[in-house]
Amino acid sequence: MKVYIIFYFQVHQPFRIAPYSFFDIGTGKSYFDEDLNRAVFNKVSDRCYIPANNLFKELILESEGRFKISFSLTGTFIEQAKLYRPDVYQSFVDLWQTGGVELLSETYYHSLASIFDLEEFVEQVDEHIKLMKREFGHEATVFRNTELIYFDKLSDVLINFPNLQTILIEGADRILMGESPLYPRWSANHAHLLLLKHYKLSDDIAFRFSDRSWPEWPLTIPKYVRWVKDLTLAEGQGRNLYLGLFMDYETFGEHQWAESGIFEFMRHLIRALLKEPMIDFLFPSEALKTLNFTPKTLSVPTPTSWADTERDLSAWLSNPLQWNAMKSIFDLLRLAKEKGRWDLVPTIRKLTTSDHFYYMCIKYFQDGDVHKYFSPYPSPEVAYKYFLNIIADLEEQLED
Amino acid sequence: MRILMLTWEYPPFIVGGLGMACYGLFRGLSSLGVTVDFILPVKEDVYFEIKSSDEADHPRIKSENGEEAKEQKKPLEFFKVMYEIPEEGAYASLKAFIVEVSKSLGVPSREPKLQVPDEVISRLKYLLLQGNHMISKVSLYTEKVLRIAQRLSFDLIHAHDWLTYPAGLMLKKYFNKPLVSHIHATEFDRALGFGHPIIHEIEYLGLNYADRVIAVSRYTANIIKEHYFVPEEKVRVVYNAYYAETKSSQKIKKFKEPVVLFLGRLTPQKGPTIFLELAKKVLERTKKVRFLVAGAGEMERELMLWASSLGYGAHIMFTGFLKRAEVERALSLADIVIMPSPSEPFGIVALEAMHFGCALILSKQSGASEIVKSAYVVDYWDVDKMVDIVLELINKPELLKAKQEEARREVQTFRWEDRAREVLEVYRELLS
Repeated sequence: MKVYIIFYFQVHQPFRIAPYSFFDIGTGKSYFDEDLNRAVFNKVSDRCYIPANNLFKELILESEGRFKISFSLTGTFIEQAKLYRPDVYQSFVDLWQTGGVELLSETYYHSLASIFDLEEFVEQVDEHIKLMKREFGHEATVFRNTELIYFDKLSDVLINFPNLQTILIEGADRILMGESPLYPRWSANHAHLLLLKHYKLSDDIAFRFSDRSWPEWPLTIPKYVRWVKDLTLAEGQGRNLYLGLFMDYETFGEHQWAESGIFEFMRHLIRALLKEPMIDFLFPSEALKTLNFTPKTLSVPTPTSWADTERDLSAWLSNPLQWNAMKSIFDLLRLAKEKGRWDLVPTIRKLTTSDHFYYMCIKYFQDGDVHKYFSPYPSPEVAYKYFLNIIADLEEQLED
Repeated sequence: MRILMLTWEYPPFIVGGLGMACYGLFRGLSSLGVTVDFILPVKEDVYFEIKSSDEADHPRIKSENGEEAKEQKKPLEFFKVMYEIPEEGAYASLKAFIVEVSKSLGVPSREPKLQVPDEVISRLKYLLLQGNHMISKVSLYTEKVLRIAQRLSFDLIHAHDWLTYPAGLMLKKYFNKPLVSHIHATEFDRALGFGHPIIHEIEYLGLNYADRVIAVSRYTANIIKEHYFVPEEKVRVVYNAYYAETKSSQKIKKFKEPVVLFLGRLTPQKGPTIFLELAKKVLERTKKVRFLVAGAGEMERELMLWASSLGYGAHIMFTGFLKRAEVERALSLADIVIMPSPSEPFGIVALEAMHFGCALILSKQSGASEIVKSAYVVDYWDVDKMVDIVLELINKPELLKAKQEEARREVQTFRWEDRAREVLEVYRELLS
């Protein structure tokens, strides 16, 4: 029996929109806030991408490939890396060339197309697969949707991509009904293997690591290693366990600052885990061939995600501002395609990125919670106004 | 003739229509040879003077001793009052309130040279000590006025709205000069019903113990006669008028579809929810139109949530707060302006919209609707009728154009010089 640790990191940057006032409509002003996007990219590069890439490269090389991680790099991230920080782009290429990295497939624009327009979803996945082939020569076999959004229908649609065999999903309580997230499942149609996020052990690192009000703070290496080893206690049949540690790459250096000791923690944690004979690291695609049992089937009729405590779509679609904005942008995209306005399509697609709708979320905004922390706008209403003004401008252009 | 004006707003210190009305009136009066001194709620101890109409745009700033203040090093600091609708009135009903007030203060007599009794002054002093932040600003202003007025000579006091009534009444008492109380908006309009008891009481006193009352419309005159029992013979109606600040008011076309505009604070008094109801019903019939909500206010989130829940994409848009220049740009790109206010003493925005060539729909419950002939006048609750009008204007571009031209022409007949003459008449009655 083995405990397989599967590290997956989301690497994404949106094209944030500019303060686009009503009077900017029709003036030709750029929709995107070039300066802000560059500033954020630079900040995150210096705090997270560069130091984290260096750390993981070092660990992969010193473990001679036994340590493994996986990434999904969104199309908008790659575009910005090439635009603003070619050194960061190169750093990911270098990391990939160590052989210790698996690249996953997702929507190019990190969008909620899977909810609003399945045809568009297929096109955005296809665009991303082509990007990975072009940039890294890699043919992805594992898929993970925007923010880990998943529901049964998604697996049906992904049959369009025969190479895809595995999907990463959230190990949400309401779909597991008390069962363990450590065992992969078959999708309801048996087309894909589902790997589940272990949200407790993932969030201990991603969210709670530097939280001094957390009873387990400070998180030490022996403590975490023991938690991982204790997972085997409940397994009496010798089945392999698959521990999905899925998180935002910005956990390292951005959400948990370098001063919190997150980098040193990771360095020593990985080294300690590598010393445990029963623990191995795995690429997501390797889960399928290491199974020593027949997985159960898991049905997920309504969408789950890894966002907020609800783990559903409410981070992007819990108020009418979000619904109206999102519905409008997908309507506009369909119209642009119908009219053959391919000049506008890439721009409209950048507006389908989920972050734009996250900034319009009201439910936690007052509490100064994560939505507010991540938003470049003073309020959800302001984010909505700018977005709607841009839509109006695009509608005018489409009428020409 | 020298008039001491008490007002809370004057450009560039503008919150709402009051500042625009004072600008027009002061300029009009000065063109008739009246010298206007006025005191604003600025932190510095200064007052302002307008001797001729060309000074109205840049009134002389005078220090307490009457000398012209030297070049201001930094801009004057204005103390703003943010009006908030009361959660709940302290009195159960208006009747209970009036009974209470007349018990303690009696009913003012109708004699021609009405004095302000000592009880009224002590009552006002008591009210000004009621520590809420609005009242404390009024208290500051009143002290300032009393301090500055000692150095001034004037023939008559003219006070604009409740914020300045305590100062007006005290000046009348201490200096024995006639008082004109001008009412631009009542607490009933702001609160859409019974509002802050203290404000009601100040309005009651300020109107009843004034020598003359000027109301901005028949609508407002009726409210104060009915609710504050102000005797008919004391009340004069003087409508607002319009000075065009910009000569050229060319229409700008931003969208292929016509634009229907709501311009005003997002507060129940202005009826923004009625506007959204209208937008919904029109958009059910045609998408060839855009609705624009321009302004800020406490109802913004509620309105945005409702508007977006209709799912009409960018056909209902919000601008947020607009600066002066942006107001003009919004008006020049609007085709139709709706003023659906459930209670609007006048509504100077209507005249501004006319200047910028907008077709107008006014609620019958607005003062402007009494004089504007080119506008459609509809009960504020009659959304269906507004829908029919908007649809007709959208479908008949030549009708829309004609209505816009008519508005542009008509607004030129609303001249502040004429209004100032009517006000001067009121002064003469009192000074003769």
